[in-house]
Amino acid sequence: MKIFSESHKTVFVVDHCPYMAESCRQHVEFDMLVKNRTQGIIPLAPISKSLWTCSVESSMEYCRIMYDIFPFKKLVNFIVSDSGAHVLNSWTQEDQNLQELMAALAAVGPPNPRADPECCSILHGLVAAVETLCKITEYQHEARTLLMENAERVGNRGRIICITNAKSDSHVRMLEDCVQETIHEHNKLAANSDHLMQIQKCELVLIHTYPVGEDSLVSDRTKKELSPVLTSEVHSVRAGRHLATKLNILVQQHFDLASTTITNIPMKEEQHANTSANYDVELLHHKDAHVDFLKSGDNHLSGSSREGSFKETITLKWCTPRTNNIELHYCTGAYRISPVDVNSRPSSCLTNFLLNGRSVLLEQPRKSGSKVISHMLSSHGGEIFLHVLSSSRSILEDPPSISEGCGGRVTDYRITDFGEFMRENRLTPFLDPRYKIDGSLEIPLERAKDQLEKHTRYWPMIISQTTIFNMQAVVPLASVIVKESLTEEDVLNCQKTIYNLVDMERKNDPLPISTVGTRGKGPKRDEQYRIMWNELETLVRAHINNSEKHQRVLECLMACRSKPPEEEERKKRGRKREDKEDKSEKAVKDYEQEKSWQDSERAAEFLTQNCLAFRRGGKSILIPIPLIFKYMKFKISLELKGILERGKEELAEAEIIKDSPDSPEPPNKKPLVEMDETPPVEKSKGPVSLLSLWSNRINTANSRKHQEFAGRLNSVNNRAELYQHLKEENGMETTENGKASRQ
Amino acid sequence: MPTVVVMDVSLSMTRPVSVEGSEEYQRKHLAAHGLTMLFEHMATNYKLEFTALVVFSSLWELMVPFTRDYNTLQVVLVTDGCLGIGRGSLRHSLATHNQRGESNRFPLPFPFPSKLYIMCMANLEELQSTDSLDCLERLIDLNNGEGQIFTIDGPLCLKNVQSMFGKLIDLAYTPFHAVLKCGHLTADVQVFPRPEPFVIDEEIDPIPKVINTDLEIVGFIDIADISSPPVLSRHLVLPIALNKEGDEVGTGITDDNEDENSANQIAGKIPNFCVLLHGSLKVEGMVAIVQLGPEWHGMLYSQADSKKKSNLMMSLFEPGPEPLPWLGKMVQLGPISDAKENPYGEDDNKSPFPLQPKNKRSYAQNVTVWIKPSGLQTDVQKILRNARKLPEKTQTFYKELNRLRKAALAFGFLDLLKGVADMLERECTLLPDTAHPDAAFQLTHAAQQLKLASTGTSEYAGYDHNITPLQTDFSGSSAERI
Repeated sequence: MKIFSESHKTVFVVDHCPYMAESCRQHVEFDMLVKNRTQGIIPLAPISKSLWTCSVESSMEYCRIMYDIFPFKKLVNFIVSDSGAHVLNSWTQEDQNLQELMAALAAVGPPNPRADPECCSILHGLVAAVETLCKITEYQHEARTLLMENAERVGNRGRIICITNAKSDSHVRMLEDCVQETIHEHNKLAANSDHLMQIQKCELVLIHTYPVGEDSLVSDRTKKELSPVLTSEVHSVRAGRHLATKLNILVQQHFDLASTTITNIPMKEEQHANTSANYDVELLHHKDAHVDFLKSGDNHLSGSSREGSFKETITLKWCTPRTNNIELHYCTGAYRISPVDVNSRPSSCLTNFLLNGRSVLLEQPRKSGSKVISHMLSSHGGEIFLHVLSSSRSILEDPPSISEGCGGRVTDYRITDFGEFMRENRLTPFLDPRYKIDGSLEIPLERAKDQLEKHTRYWPMIISQTTIFNMQAVVPLASVIVKESLTEEDVLNCQKTIYNLVDMERKNDPLPISTVGTRGKGPKRDEQYRIMWNELETLVRAHINNSEKHQRVLECLMACRSKPPEEEERKKRGRKREDKEDKSEKAVKDYEQEKSWQDSERAAEFLTQNCLAFRRGGKSILIPIPLIFKYMKFKISLELKGILERGKEELAEAEIIKDSPDSPEPPNKKPLVEMDETPPVEKSKGPVSLLSLWSNRINTANSRKHQEFAGRLNSVNNRAELYQHLKEENGMETTENGKASRQ
Repeated sequence: MPTVVVMDVSLSMTRPVSVEGSEEYQRKHLAAHGLTMLFEHMATNYKLEFTALVVFSSLWELMVPFTRDYNTLQVVLVTDGCLGIGRGSLRHSLATHNQRGESNRFPLPFPFPSKLYIMCMANLEELQSTDSLDCLERLIDLNNGEGQIFTIDGPLCLKNVQSMFGKLIDLAYTPFHAVLKCGHLTADVQVFPRPEPFVIDEEIDPIPKVINTDLEIVGFIDIADISSPPVLSRHLVLPIALNKEGDEVGTGITDDNEDENSANQIAGKIPNFCVLLHGSLKVEGMVAIVQLGPEWHGMLYSQADSKKKSNLMMSLFEPGPEPLPWLGKMVQLGPISDAKENPYGEDDNKSPFPLQPKNKRSYAQNVTVWIKPSGLQTDVQKILRNARKLPEKTQTFYKELNRLRKAALAFGFLDLLKGVADMLERECTLLPDTAHPDAAFQLTHAAQQLKLASTGTSEYAGYDHNITPLQTDFSGSSAERI
């Protein structure tokens, strides 16, 4: 259906002249005496609706079905005509609901039988209808604005449904002529206006209604073209339920609806709660929901006409078991529904069941053979949809498995981590407009893309390509560094993470470096740490342009990761010696280390309490006192760099380790952010005699300057017990850097 | 779309083609050459296509059948344009087209969406010399204009046959290559079957929309939230390895060809984003929302078949700003980190979806419909039932009473108000001695109010006015409840 077809605009013109107050002569018993009531009471006399009541409730039913199935873009304008035209609502979407119309109709009230019939005419309403069809709807306006120079593509068509009591066929012809003439006039007016649109096509549906038992003075006539712009059809219908049936048929024709009857709905009986009977419920929806039946010419499904109405309904069977909502069905269409008999018990049972969030699969009743599930009823946010499930076979039935394709043989993808990533990058609606700092409108979807960009700047796909993402200890930093902006607390957490890593390195903790494909034991411990630090640097560097706080994290990282060559040297020597060393002696040493830095959290806290603020490049950074020493050594080592050209070699060494043939380079490993303009602090090794001399001097000098730690002062045999209350508190756990502890 | 190749093997196809200085060819050799080229192309670039071969002259024979049935089809008819004579010939069939009934209807248009490609082993001049071309064009017309006629440019020779089949391949069998992106994570992919261009509204926007070759993931949604959405089409997203020239090296799908096999094995061992994405989507039960073009989106998810083989699948939503009402406008979807608090809850126990529509549908708002007498009777009975349980049911009594009052006023059904008032007055007289004194007061009050409303005067018949319970001195209970 085109958006701006005749169905875009429907004008109801309902006759409000005195004769419409006449009874439809169809009685309604409203005083239904319940059994077991006192005998001898005569029920109240039945009442009957007026022609007006019949017309109004039938047109409301038309609107109800239309609004249920097309809540948007299908608009109704309701006009009541007597001595003048009363336009009850406008084309705006806010006016398009039953409550608005009902309230407006109540304000109008029933026709006054004592009014002067001479001044009253349906013509007022018809003229107003043409006028209102020329008015542009917000959808037309929006489309025209969007199409700019192609604005003329936006059509202006409409339908006038006029319910009246005509006197004769010639009276009907007079009404038609009047509409045609009015269209002609208004099109001339509209041609010279920006706010009006010329009517390209108008469908006039004249419904002559009369009391039951009377003879119709007007004959039916099928659709006839009166002019290129106007077509007209005449329906002569008895009032009461006949009129309602007629409008029900019309709404189906006008909006391409079809009917489906759900059969075999199990429902508890009101009287006998423990038994259940099977019920049928008829639903209306767009006819495309039956497109598969029409295509395959499966006519045996349809054909049962109900209660004398002419329409056909397709029967589908309620299917158990129900479907669960975590299943993704292949659905080729979803169409809103409206129950034909909205307030009947079976209907409301079905709709309430669905509104509670449950879905029902529907199968085609077949006499034999396999069961074919062709549809599903499901509600989404208080709206019920009939989903069309594809039951035909497709060429995608026997697809190759993803494991047979590119990348299919790799087994160590970070599936869990990417799952976590997906959860963090889930979407949520932002209904209120948000604005950027510059005042322009912020598009939430663009924000989502930005976030994905940030979160993937450094994201190795497989476990063996990464060290840091396999370490629980890095999580506090890795989870916040990708953010657009950091809080002071975030920065502190990042710094803590880095100090923690420094501490791990000091303790010589093993790292979860992949040994897949490498011969022997894999890289040595200090090389492992170098790889880890390099990777962490890549991650942090990818984000330094986010904010000044991100830079501070990098600065902290650069300050901490640097290792004095002397220490390197000592380590190397230490390793050679290690074998010879007495095992018990080593154990004592380990114990000491363990003791002094038992709790990384606490260590970090300790460090932050023992930090000095440095101003560097206009920013202040906190550096723990012990690290200041290291940093100073670096400054020196940098100065010595000219002599000691070893940094490059070492970097190259790191590269070689990373690029071992079996752990291929991740595609996104290339530096995403150009290197910082300041030369990266490189580690230097080599002849350290001068340096060690210098640093020893500094160390001694400094150790004299600062106040001795309380612990050391109270120590026994120069050995202080740190965190004496740790065991009592018992709240601390030693952090593990293994993957195993990750949730 | 699966392909049926329909090959003309009538005697006229054996007419020799004069090719200078080489061995003698017949038209059917040319046809076979062209088809070989088509099949080779499919075997390398369009592997998942299904094909069947039918040969015909005055009779027909299915040489290679499909293994299953489909709802869309491409038909490649290979003929020399000699349409035969007499009964059963195409010329005769078309001439008598109007005389056919339901039982012997002409096969065109096919009862399923299809494209008919006619490959003529003849050049244009040759076809135009008879009415063959007209007849063939008529066939395309009969197929609702879906399809095309190809003729050989220049003399009949292998080269020109190749170029003709080349055109068919370009039109119907070029693989759709794209780059799947999620921020900086990317993968080269083939989308199969090719996504077809889509027209949203032929009047407003008649230009068919085609999807981007950059498929950009914008975020993720749980399967329960996306909730089996309607889609235009489904496509496999197959990771491919491209060489430097941008030609496809292979999809990694195992093949008999040995060279390709080793290339595929290498490709299989290189980590690919598609595999990572697929694995996580499957494990987490989520879909990735992917942008296909301006105001056009789709979803990526893991699709498993009955044999537990699974693959990355992409479904296309209908183009537009709001393809799924329960997600709202696509541009309004943003990252959860921008929300004040996580809309999925700290324990992942809630969801921002589905969005609730502004207005409730009729079945969710207790509308009043009195078209059938039973509808009216049920509503009156409800009032009566509650009237007999006054004062306990004072609130529901007035709720139902006001609902009826509103509808009666809107429908101009004032007689009903009078009738119900009479009924309540009668109920008052029927009250047993044991009844609470408040019941009588409330019934009388309600009846009186209905009668006033039934006069239709604006003072008492206001739509938004509600009848409120009478304040009585009897048990405070009824008054308190209100």
